[in-house]
Amino acid sequence: MIRLSRPIALALSVLALLVVDPFVASAQPPPSLSEISERLDDLYRSRASIARMEIEIVTPNRTRSMRIRAWSRGENRSLIRIEAPARERGTATLRRDRNLWNFLPRISRTIRVPPSMMLSGWMGSDLTNDDLVRSSSLEDDFDGSVVGPDPEGRGWLIRYEARPGTVGLWRRIETVVNQAGTIPIESRYYDRRMRLARTMTYSEVREMDGRRIPTVLTIQPNDRPGHRTVMRYVDLDFDASVSESTFSLSELEQQR
Amino acid sequence: MIRSVTTRYALRSLRRNLKRTLLSAIGVAFGVGIGLIAISFVSGQMSMLYDAAARGGVGHLKVAPAGWNESRRTELRLDDFEAQLAAVRAVEGVRLAAPHAGARALLALGTRSVQVTLSGVDPTVEQAALRYVRELDEGDYLANDSELGPRQIVLGRSLVTRLDAEVGDELVVTSVDDEGEIQSALVVLVGVADVHNRQINDGISQVPLAMIEQLTGRPGATDISIVLDSYHDIERVQPRIVEALRSDNEALDMFEVSSEIRAGKAKSDGYTVAMLLVILLVVLMGVMSAQLTSVLERRKEFAVLAALGMRSRNLIAVLLTEGLALGVLSAAFAIAWAGPIVASWAAHGVDMSGLVQGEDTGVAQGSVLMELVFYPEFGLGFFVTAISLAVGATLVASIYPAVFASRTDPASALRVDR
Amino acid sequence: MFGTTLRTAWRNLGRNRRRTGLTLGAIAVAQTAVLVFSGMINGFGDSTLETVTGPIVGHAQIHAHDWREERATEMAIDDVTAKLAAIRALPGVDSAFARVYAPALVASEMDGHGAMILGVDLDAETGPGGLLEGIAPEALDGEHPALIGAAFARDTGMEVGDELAVVGSASDGSIAADLVTITGLIETPLDMINRGGLIVGISVVQEAFLLEDSAHEITVRGADPGAADALVASLSTIDGLDELEILTWQEVAPEMSQILEVMGVYGYIVMIIVFMAAAAGVANTMLMSTFERRRELGMLLALGSGPGRLLRMVLTEALLLGLLGVAVGTVVGGALVLYWSEAGMDVLMGGGASAEGLAMFGVGVDPYVYPFLTVGNVVAGFIGIAVVSVVAAFLPALGTARLEPVEAMRG
Repeated sequence: MIRLSRPIALALSVLALLVVDPFVASAQPPPSLSEISERLDDLYRSRASIARMEIEIVTPNRTRSMRIRAWSRGENRSLIRIEAPARERGTATLRRDRNLWNFLPRISRTIRVPPSMMLSGWMGSDLTNDDLVRSSSLEDDFDGSVVGPDPEGRGWLIRYEARPGTVGLWRRIETVVNQAGTIPIESRYYDRRMRLARTMTYSEVREMDGRRIPTVLTIQPNDRPGHRTVMRYVDLDFDASVSESTFSLSELEQQR
Repeated sequence: MIRSVTTRYALRSLRRNLKRTLLSAIGVAFGVGIGLIAISFVSGQMSMLYDAAARGGVGHLKVAPAGWNESRRTELRLDDFEAQLAAVRAVEGVRLAAPHAGARALLALGTRSVQVTLSGVDPTVEQAALRYVRELDEGDYLANDSELGPRQIVLGRSLVTRLDAEVGDELVVTSVDDEGEIQSALVVLVGVADVHNRQINDGISQVPLAMIEQLTGRPGATDISIVLDSYHDIERVQPRIVEALRSDNEALDMFEVSSEIRAGKAKSDGYTVAMLLVILLVVLMGVMSAQLTSVLERRKEFAVLAALGMRSRNLIAVLLTEGLALGVLSAAFAIAWAGPIVASWAAHGVDMSGLVQGEDTGVAQGSVLMELVFYPEFGLGFFVTAISLAVGATLVASIYPAVFASRTDPASALRVDR
Repeated sequence: MFGTTLRTAWRNLGRNRRRTGLTLGAIAVAQTAVLVFSGMINGFGDSTLETVTGPIVGHAQIHAHDWREERATEMAIDDVTAKLAAIRALPGVDSAFARVYAPALVASEMDGHGAMILGVDLDAETGPGGLLEGIAPEALDGEHPALIGAAFARDTGMEVGDELAVVGSASDGSIAADLVTITGLIETPLDMINRGGLIVGISVVQEAFLLEDSAHEITVRGADPGAADALVASLSTIDGLDELEILTWQEVAPEMSQILEVMGVYGYIVMIIVFMAAAAGVANTMLMSTFERRRELGMLLALGSGPGRLLRMVLTEALLLGLLGVAVGTVVGGALVLYWSEAGMDVLMGGGASAEGLAMFGVGVDPYVYPFLTVGNVVAGFIGIAVVSVVAAFLPALGTARLEPVEAMRG
């Protein structure tokens, strides 16, 4: 299950750049289902973090790549700065509580994004607004069950059915985790009419700041051929020391 | 004394030349009748537009908070909404009162999403108030007694296609509330509307008012659209509504609300005035020349009268009275022949659809769908217009001939005609 | 024999100048009225047609397929400069303009507002048929001038002179950002622009949104909006346009064309009504006039003129009167229409609406109407009114001719 670090998620979603949130899920290998779910939910949780990611968005007409650096603290603070490509270097988004600002270095201006624009999802990437904005949790909002071994022999197949009353895009999520139950391999998302809407693949498991996590996440919508979004963690610092002052407008306008 | 003599003389001379009188009256009646038909026709054309607009969401009248008309901000709410709605519904002449509240939202199904401006409505009246949702292409309309509660939505066909949705699907609706918090809910697509016009279809996304309240945190409605029996009632009912409201909320008529309709009215009024002037002019000319001709022929008669001592002032009075009587008679004839036609139009309607080619039964104008049948008014106004037109025309037309007659030199007139 | 009748008729007319003059006058006025009104309706229809196919819609439009549904920035027409040149060189094309539509966030201070950026060729579109026709050239001065919808400016507090940040999503998905200066407000009835639009130079938008030599829409105008099909056909012959969508204005705005049709029908009916009123006036005049001549006609009968001859004479007089009256009316009516076709008729007559900000169908409305006449209008009047004159004289003449002379003379 993709668990987005909320502040980052929100900030990215509004960058109007279709930023895909880096969600990486990993869990310890307990056989207990609730532990698996919890682990998947908490994959990126830390009080504060600094990450560097590469994102590639593929559509039939073009491919777009960028590299970003993201600072986050708690649930409500995040700062994301684009490092590449050169044309957009220095562009940054700051989220603080319910406010969102974009800084555009090319015109040296900071703009506050109105709430209604925050709904327009992302333009171009395969992330849904649901991913970026919602904070549903596997543990709380779904009923999980271990179906059995993955038919392709990669590990275990876990099925999560949305609890009645849960507001969310997905009626069912099927996740394949490794034998030990610690690392997700693939997630399949079924919409509310039980159609397979998208598939997420987790690959290139590496150790980052003491945790073993898949560092590459690929999102593939099932009804749109030629579209794909790939997110790669270049580095990730959990429990970093990120001060409150990082999340200020003056910081935003620094072109570090 | 003089007046009664004048009148008696006038009437007698009309009676004496019955054929001429009747012919004249028929002539004027024909012109006036045509004018009456033209007026009802043109007013029918515009009433088609106004009433269609009223049922296209604008309403004949709209109750809204002060300042709404300039800014149109969806966050505004009516003061004391429930009470105001009840008060408005109790006003005589109000056929329907339909409240609305809007909210910008994102609808999503799976990986697809669309941005819409949701319209929160009262399911019991909305279908009657808005043409577009009266008949749905698929599914059912919103219902207050549904087990879904407020979690229902009706969408236009183009939106349903973009979402790749079906009736029965659950959609996630996400909006931003007053505090800036993001709110979402699951709604079920219960019905699909299709008016064969993409622009309008894109704008149909209706939910119960309660759902808007849930999403925005703001209760109540932004405006109430009021539908009357016809746009002619606007003048009558508007002040009653203002009185019933007794608050800062405003009662606006459709011309204040929609600049499109206002412009349409201005143009058609100009159109109507021009046409009436032309008809009047033509009728006048006809009457005047007829009167003049008859005056010319009666020169001897007037000369005799003058010789007998009748003053020119009295002669003018006689001729004007003749004109008046003629006018009344013509009005009667005009009403007799044009009245039944307009009355039957008023009862059965005039169907223009045969004349306009088009596959659909409705025609979209801007954001308004029109039915091509209209019902002209047939009431007191008709009779008043008939009489004023006929009498006015004949009176005015008789002035010059009367003056002309009074200037005739008796002596020369009594001489043998050349 | 006809010659004698004609001469007699002519002499009769001349003998009673006043009666002749009156009748002639009535007929002339009727024809004048009919002509002026027809001219007005023609001009009206024309003005509405011109309005509907105004600079925004044009007579024909060219887009990339599916752009109208998806509105995606990258679905643009490329090599626009070459295509525009080819289109403008086509015979029958009066003007062609390329436009770029880009949704964006704009801000004069910190708060951003959702807007639609419309990129147009600022120089070309101030010319005839362009979107900015009539805008003062000072409004387009400066490095990156921008015109903002009046309601939009009012709602957001943005003013002339403000420097706006414009941020959106470029054709490749990357961030598009630039600065523009508001140089003027635009009062257009198009809601999209009035409530949330910003008109900017097309090259500025193309550069910011990475749309090199591209545009989303090419609007083409020919000489006659009614000939849109032919225009589209000749546009399809241009190289490079065949893989694009080329539509007539009726296809772009089908509801408008239906409205025009309905209005046309109404106009026609109203014209007939006015004509009938005019005919009624003429008939009335002729009726009375003939009726009044009973005694005179009776005398002729008594003097030995046969009823048939009498009838012929009266009808010939009526015909002469009719034709003469119509001729005079045509001259006067024609002159009036000519005058108004230059000066313009103010249809609104101060009906409470100001000249600017008038909206009908979401497009602008010129309060002036420029009437014009077709040959058909004039001929119809001639024939119609002349016929009416004769017919109106017929019955009473017939009635008189059948009478005993003594009765007729008694009047």
